Amino acid sequence: MSTPAIYRRVVRRETHSSRAGIAIALAVILILVFAWFGIESVLAALGRTPLLVAPKSSVAAVLAAASAPVGALTAGGIVAALIGILLIVVALAPGRRGRRHGSSDRTAAVVDDRVIAQSVAQSAAFAGSVDPDQVHVTVARRSVVVDVTPTSGRPADVEAIGAAVDRELASYDFVPALRGRVRLETKGVVGR
Amino acid sequence: MNSTNRALNRGLVFVIGLLLLVAGGGVAAGALVPGVRGPVVRAAKSASGPTSDALSSQQPAILWGVAAASLILIALLVLFVVRQGRGHTATLVTAASGSLVIEAKVAEELLKETLSRDPAIVSVGVAAFRVRSQSVLRVTAQTRRGASPVDVRSTIDRAVAEWHTVLGAETPVVIQIVAGVRTRISGASRVA
Repeated sequence: MSTPAIYRRVVRRETHSSRAGIAIALAVILILVFAWFGIESVLAALGRTPLLVAPKSSVAAVLAAASAPVGALTAGGIVAALIGILLIVVALAPGRRGRRHGSSDRTAAVVDDRVIAQSVAQSAAFAGSVDPDQVHVTVARRSVVVDVTPTSGRPADVEAIGAAVDRELASYDFVPALRGRVRLETKGVVGR
Repeated sequence: MNSTNRALNRGLVFVIGLLLLVAGGGVAAGALVPGVRGPVVRAAKSASGPTSDALSSQQPAILWGVAAASLILIALLVLFVVRQGRGHTATLVTAASGSLVIEAKVAEELLKETLSRDPAIVSVGVAAFRVRSQSVLRVTAQTRRGASPVDVRSTIDRAVAEWHTVLGAETPVVIQIVAGVRTRISGASRVA
């Protein structure tokens, strides 16, 4: 198998969630439920007293509840249905992990959006001569929003910050590519 | 990049979601929709007799069957959980003759040694995986806050090139540039 094909597979696996967490959680819940079923069945077959409820009575209770609908049962059904919809969405959604990738002929790279945000914040703070804490960067899938809170009494140079952000983003060869936007807060803070 | 079966994970989540949606939705519809309620009540009433008979201690075969089925399902689910996250390997390269084996540990030591000199990188992790019967090296670098991902990337690229020269062969390498716990507690980089 060729290297580019391996890189495609690995990059896909590193930029998307494996859904292992939720799958393991559900599996553990199912294991507990089945273990309880099994134990109650064995106890009932041996004629011993049940742990919580004998299988016969639990099934009877469910069927009795279904034939005589009550508010609590309806609410439970709706909650179960909503959880079901949520799980179906989780199962079908792409599950992106907030990372982007770039590859040269030798290696493939996966970069966390947080690293990009911190780097852009650093460039913006340096260009605007403000403290890095006065810059807030949000990285979306295809765009970067830089919120700058100027120091009171010292107007921040939006053009310079914008140019620095654009320069930084232009140096990236990561996919999906990013576009920058700088927003200036109207209220300043006491500078450091 | 481990060999977790992601389709299976999503499949399990989807099936459980669908079951919850159908069961919960059925119960809620049975209670709320008058047209549906009649058949549900009748079905539940007619089912309650036979099911109580089947699960009573007079028919231990069915109870043992339920217990056995639970045990098999538990075994399958445990297998499913244990199967997650496999694919790590300690061996990076085995020579065609089989007499020479290069451990992933060698790459780890060498790359860590080279990369720890870069102040932009706080910590380095190296792991090897088997992807489609080929060894792939994964280099994970945690960056200092504000470090440029492009610079970090090219530093690691150079280190990997060095490693390939030492090895005398090229293995696929995937670079991960992330911001982790170490990023947060180590100070911001002082050079933009």
